[in-house]
Amino acid sequence: MSDPFLLFDLLLAGAVIALAIATLTVRDLFAAIILFVIFGLLSALAWVRLSAPDVALAEAAIGTGVTGALLLKTLHHLRYVTGSLGTNAVESLSPVQPVPAGVSWANAAFCGLITLGLATAFLGAPHAGPGLEGLVAEAMPASGVSHPVTGVLLNFRAYDTLMEVVVLLAAVIAVWQIERGLSDAPAPALGEVWEGFARLTLPAIIVVGTYLLWKGSEAPGGAFQGGAVLAAVGLMLLLSRLYVPRPAHRAVARWAFVLGTGVFAGVALLVASGGRVAFEYPLEHAKTLILLIEGLVTISIAVTLAALFHGREPVAVPAERGDNDA
Amino acid sequence: MTPDLIYGLTGIAVFAIGLVGALCAQDRLRRVLALKLCSVGAGFLLVVGAWRTPSAAPDPVPHALVITGIVVMVSATAVALALIRRLKSLEAEDDD
Amino acid sequence: MMIDPLTLSIFVPLFGAILTFVFPRVATVSALLAVLGTCGAVFVLALKILAAGEVLVPLGGWAPPLGITLRADGLSVAMLAMTALVGLLVSLGALESLRDLRQRQYFWPLWLLLLTGMNGVYLSTDLFNLYVMIEVIALGAVGLTVLSGTREAVRAGLEYMYASILGALLFLMGVGFIYLQIGRLDFAGLIAAEASGATSAALALMVVGLLLKTALFPLHFWLPAAHANATAPASALLSGLVVKAALYIFLRLSTYMPLPDETLVTLIGALGAGAVLWGGVQALRTERLKLLVAWSTVVQIGLIFIAFARAGQAGLTESWKAAAVLILAHGMAKAAMFLAAGRIKDEVGHDRIADLDKSEIRPTLAQFTFAIAAISLIGLPPSLGFIGKWSLMEGAMAAGYWHWVAVTMIGTLMSVAYFSRVFAGFLRFDRMRGELSEHKGWALADVAPLTLAAAAISLGLMAAPILSFIELGYPFGAAP
Repeated sequence: MSDPFLLFDLLLAGAVIALAIATLTVRDLFAAIILFVIFGLLSALAWVRLSAPDVALAEAAIGTGVTGALLLKTLHHLRYVTGSLGTNAVESLSPVQPVPAGVSWANAAFCGLITLGLATAFLGAPHAGPGLEGLVAEAMPASGVSHPVTGVLLNFRAYDTLMEVVVLLAAVIAVWQIERGLSDAPAPALGEVWEGFARLTLPAIIVVGTYLLWKGSEAPGGAFQGGAVLAAVGLMLLLSRLYVPRPAHRAVARWAFVLGTGVFAGVALLVASGGRVAFEYPLEHAKTLILLIEGLVTISIAVTLAALFHGREPVAVPAERGDNDA
Repeated sequence: MTPDLIYGLTGIAVFAIGLVGALCAQDRLRRVLALKLCSVGAGFLLVVGAWRTPSAAPDPVPHALVITGIVVMVSATAVALALIRRLKSLEAEDDD
Repeated sequence: MMIDPLTLSIFVPLFGAILTFVFPRVATVSALLAVLGTCGAVFVLALKILAAGEVLVPLGGWAPPLGITLRADGLSVAMLAMTALVGLLVSLGALESLRDLRQRQYFWPLWLLLLTGMNGVYLSTDLFNLYVMIEVIALGAVGLTVLSGTREAVRAGLEYMYASILGALLFLMGVGFIYLQIGRLDFAGLIAAEASGATSAALALMVVGLLLKTALFPLHFWLPAAHANATAPASALLSGLVVKAALYIFLRLSTYMPLPDETLVTLIGALGAGAVLWGGVQALRTERLKLLVAWSTVVQIGLIFIAFARAGQAGLTESWKAAAVLILAHGMAKAAMFLAAGRIKDEVGHDRIADLDKSEIRPTLAQFTFAIAAISLIGLPPSLGFIGKWSLMEGAMAAGYWHWVAVTMIGTLMSVAYFSRVFAGFLRFDRMRGELSEHKGWALADVAPLTLAAAAISLGLMAAPILSFIELGYPFGAAP
């Protein structure tokens, strides 16, 4: 009990739980999103404490940063559509069919029971228990990279990672499909100071993103964190209107979305056609192949995340005459 | 009281809070927030599963899983939010 | 240069999706080629299974628990084959029914991603991989749900999305508990695991998540609106194929992590009974044709769970076969019925059941298709649906579980009643005076559902080989 970190852990855990509750109970939606972002950052901090820096980076950049941006953009759109853009606090802009109070309480009680059950099960489970770190350590020399998390992501469980990029691709296709023909709310103006800031910081962010990607093969970082940081560049470009998506850019965008998936899957098949199974990279080329895949996946992730933020497919909105391709 | 115990219970609490929100929230946007809380709760559980006593290195497999989970969740969130925006626009059109 | 057919049946649709998205101009051709290629891969795989029983592919050359292994056996190949067959025919039907250019442009990549995800589920042996795969399916399926872009479709799509995400997250939480307890995620590890508090919690979380995704009563609330408001080919894929993926995972899990006691099996059967009765009542009350077909899906899902529970815990080693046959039968018949319903709606101009007989146009072929598909769904001989229902009742009777027989009989009577409402609309009682124009010609959009419906009927004659095929590789006996 004399661990100096104990107090820190308890405080952090308490803050995380309090923020989670506040996110759902605070009246104003904007405040809820901000509280959620703080919640995400504190969770990432807790994961650093649990010696998971890669996960913390990904959560901070994607789970909190990009998600927060998506939420704010949506809130902005809802305010624009409902004409409540100038007003201050909004409790709800898109109410669902009200749940009767009785049902709500029953649900809450039910969830309480579930929590008790899960907590009991958790306390009964082995701690610092069985895992795969031994197997991973054994196999690392044959993986072509030196950072274990990258080894798992891009070699041992590369199939999962490919499918995760597929999920991202499915998301952008679905979003383009959902918002086709939808006119956009005017983007919130950034103001001159911000625009200058954006111009100045963009190169720095690009450098950081590339560095994260490069470090990924030996230290925390990698395609997803790097991709998210580069996506931040895209978000700033979009917000500052330094880049405005046009219909003619669609073909390039499509290629950029599928680049990571296509090369990842293509390499897997190429390897498979050489008498091995898919994803079984020959050791002498493993490092090169993984770096190539990681680099292209990073680009795809960055462009896709930025496109998810922008939302609708850039089409010529009023003069739409059955065009189907850029 | 070791960190894995503290944060494991934190994760379960966060998951449960998200679950309540997902079932009871009265606003579409807030439901998305609630679901996102659930995913962070699940992330806590996996990260805790990877934690080892300080001298030993953590298990990298759950770390990779959580990173994958985060990317999957942002994709799903983006689609849900696009649906919310589209639906609101359609509803606003019909009201006019 | 020989790539194994397991890898191919996942990668071919994936590359198809990429091509259709990047080159929208040739989307239709590349999509059809991709679906045909998938069918080819599944066919080769089926031959391999007939010879070898099971096929394993350790991806990356890493054996589990470090790596992920693809595994095919009789049951998974039966699911793959049903998916490929239904997928091919729905694709052919979609050629004509999707007239809107933009709809078509998005239909193909979303559908091929969906196919990638489903094939991935049927070949997976890893819990976390299954989580990623059900998310691939979810995003593809939601995209297809809202393809029509109407307000009802988008609203239903959003509800579907919430349910999907929540189901997947419950599953993920379960995966977390499994890892905590046994430190691995492959099926072999699950089989070897001893039951504990953590594994029970994991099983409960995963099962609830899957039931939400497969829409078992009372977690079916999102399904009727989503399936009824989608465009016809999308409805056919959603109802015929998508809900089966979660069901399949449930079947697998229930073997690898045996349900701890008899009460749970009974509870699942009871939920199935609730689905049959509640869904039946709703199907009797609804005013719209597509909604009726969607409620019939709720009923059929319930029936599959009754088949699962028909002989209690001790009977599970046999009961899964009855459930599997019903899954296959429903996949084909429901896809056919949704396509036919879509044709009827297209030609008549609406899908109000009460006014179906007032139309000037008689979509004869679509009505005929609807009727044959209904034969399999009601469970009349010689359809595959009959075989499934019969084996459900036989097993229940043998085990002395007469309540399941009774519920199934009531459900059957109700299905006769609600489908008769539609048949009555097909018959004309001369309420419409004036010229009557028949639908002319054999459109591709009619042939596809008719073939599916005919397959649902005629495969009943091949029940014995199908039953012995799904047992190949001992899906529910030996370790994978």
